[in-house]
Amino acid sequence: MSIEPFRRLVKLVARAFYDEEIPPKGANRSKSDKSDNRGIAVVILDALTRRQWVKEEDLARDLRLHPKQLRRTLRVLEEELLILREHRRETVKGAKVYNAAIAAVSEQPSEREGEEKPKVHTHSYCCLDYAQVFDIVRYRIHRSKKKIKDELEDRNTVQEYICPAASCGRRYSALDALRLINVFDGNFHCELCDGELVAESDKLAAAELGDGDGEENARRRRREKLKELYEKLEKQLKPLQDQLTRVKDLAPPDFGSLEAWEKRAIAAGRIPGNDASTSDLPKPSHGQGPSGTPMPFLGETKVEVALAGGDTKKDEGKEEAAQLKVLPPWMIRQGMTLTASQRGEAKSEVKTEDGASLAGPDTKDVKPAEEDKEEQARKIQEEYLKAYYAALLARQQGAEQPTAQPEPVETGAEAADGVEETGERQVGMKAKREDGDEGEAEEDEDVEWEHAAAAEPVEPVVASQDSQFSNVGDPDPAPDPGGEFDDDDDVDWEEG
Amino acid sequence: MFFHIYLERNMQLHPRHFGPHLRDKLISKLIQDVEGTCSGRHGFVVAVTAVETIGQGLIRDGTGYVTFPMKYQCVVFRPFKGEILESVVTMVNKMGFFAEAGPVQIFVSNHLIPDDMVFQSGDVPSYETSDGSVRIQKDSEVRLKIVGTRVDATEIFCIGTIKDDFLGLIGNPGGGA
Repeated sequence: MSIEPFRRLVKLVARAFYDEEIPPKGANRSKSDKSDNRGIAVVILDALTRRQWVKEEDLARDLRLHPKQLRRTLRVLEEELLILREHRRETVKGAKVYNAAIAAVSEQPSEREGEEKPKVHTHSYCCLDYAQVFDIVRYRIHRSKKKIKDELEDRNTVQEYICPAASCGRRYSALDALRLINVFDGNFHCELCDGELVAESDKLAAAELGDGDGEENARRRRREKLKELYEKLEKQLKPLQDQLTRVKDLAPPDFGSLEAWEKRAIAAGRIPGNDASTSDLPKPSHGQGPSGTPMPFLGETKVEVALAGGDTKKDEGKEEAAQLKVLPPWMIRQGMTLTASQRGEAKSEVKTEDGASLAGPDTKDVKPAEEDKEEQARKIQEEYLKAYYAALLARQQGAEQPTAQPEPVETGAEAADGVEETGERQVGMKAKREDGDEGEAEEDEDVEWEHAAAAEPVEPVVASQDSQFSNVGDPDPAPDPGGEFDDDDDVDWEEG
Repeated sequence: MFFHIYLERNMQLHPRHFGPHLRDKLISKLIQDVEGTCSGRHGFVVAVTAVETIGQGLIRDGTGYVTFPMKYQCVVFRPFKGEILESVVTMVNKMGFFAEAGPVQIFVSNHLIPDDMVFQSGDVPSYETSDGSVRIQKDSEVRLKIVGTRVDATEIFCIGTIKDDFLGLIGNPGGGA
């Protein structure tokens, strides 16, 4: 789903058509004349391109706008059919669902979880309707061009009539003439209010041109003026036209109705408070309804697939794949610890100690009552392999730069020798183990491995460097035994 | 534009007409029914020219009426956008004028009337050139071009223009050019 061209389209549209003051339609015209809302529509539309469904209060707060002012502009935009709005009376629970959805799609954890409104309240939500924007803009451009062209070529257009009464304002075309005619005075009367209709003068150029000198001259001047106007229109709307043609064959992003979107976002994203990390992509629905268990890890599952994991999905059954998705992030992190042990197994290295540590964090963290141990072990092994390859790649890339020495050197900084991969690592580990807590050292290293893997698809070299630097910077600072420290460290690296 | 086309219709005939002149009765009833009607699809039925076939009659339950499927040939008139028609003005007002070309009604709004013709109210409202040489009023004959049609299921309405070469007045009310 490519959203970027559509975002650009909306931005262009905002600048092309809504950067002036928006005249509010309808009655309370005089009231809003006081406030200057020029350009606000642009800001709001831009903000909406960065969001999906958003509660209008939140939007107002983010934009530092008064909710009323925002609402007024939004109403205009809604009338222009650019955005969808939804109003609903909701209780705390409803707000929670929305908050969860927001947390699922946004980068930051939702910090508003706690603050809940105790009473039933009507909330409004709004969202860009990209498909409609596309159609509307095309239509609008077509109409404006047609109007000028018709007048330019003096093509015979259908005259329109409007009811002058302010309360009515109905429009009729000349095709309705037969129905409108009044038998008594022979004039046109409004069907609704019976007021006499007036012809709508929509001539663009005629108005400002005085007809001082001859008929022919005036006509020529008018034509010139129209031509100029048309060229100007063409020129100024060129970027917009280009974007429209670019977007034409793309499927517009569709967030669906608010409710559907919430469901999908919660299903695809993670529950707030579970973990807060990257992946703000609008996720397509994965067909998993929201259930009791959090299904948090789709983002990184995708990353794995991008790496090498197509086969994992194939040879495992569907339920297993689902299980894999269910794994929470911390689980996988600890799982990497396991994979370290598996690595030992695979390379017939240090097996015994790690085998013990395998069972430890696993059972503690996951409560995998239904989890099949063997299945999991296999998965973990595969994950380890992926991580391993990723790290290998990172190392190869990092090898060019002497400063960014990959993993073995880091261990070698203590062991001070680098021969061959496995042997070297063994040596490194031994050296570490002499220093302090062996499990800790092991875990430390593993975490870093996992990091390389996780960050790999984005920016392999930088990510691995970063993690190594932080490692080198403080080689095992304040040996704090336990998973807490590791987790903290993790977060730091991710942000670094 | 006129067309000569085949149409079909189910005619219902009362039992009292059954007899030696059943067929004649059926045809006259058909002509009475369809001539002058308008369908959005085919236009105005101007005249039935021939009855092609009359099918087997079917007695309808309960009533005694008999339904005959008939296929007939007829002339229809359907106006099209861009078509040139000659028409008679039926009404003039400040918004323009109405004209009739056979069964079809045409409205010419005042901005599709040449700029040199202005509306003159008074006893006989009309559009007139400043020198008075051309004057469009009720019953004038006008050649016009159709610029828009509105086609409903049972109604066709057109708007026309006389703001083009060779369009406009072709005959005055009393007859003659």
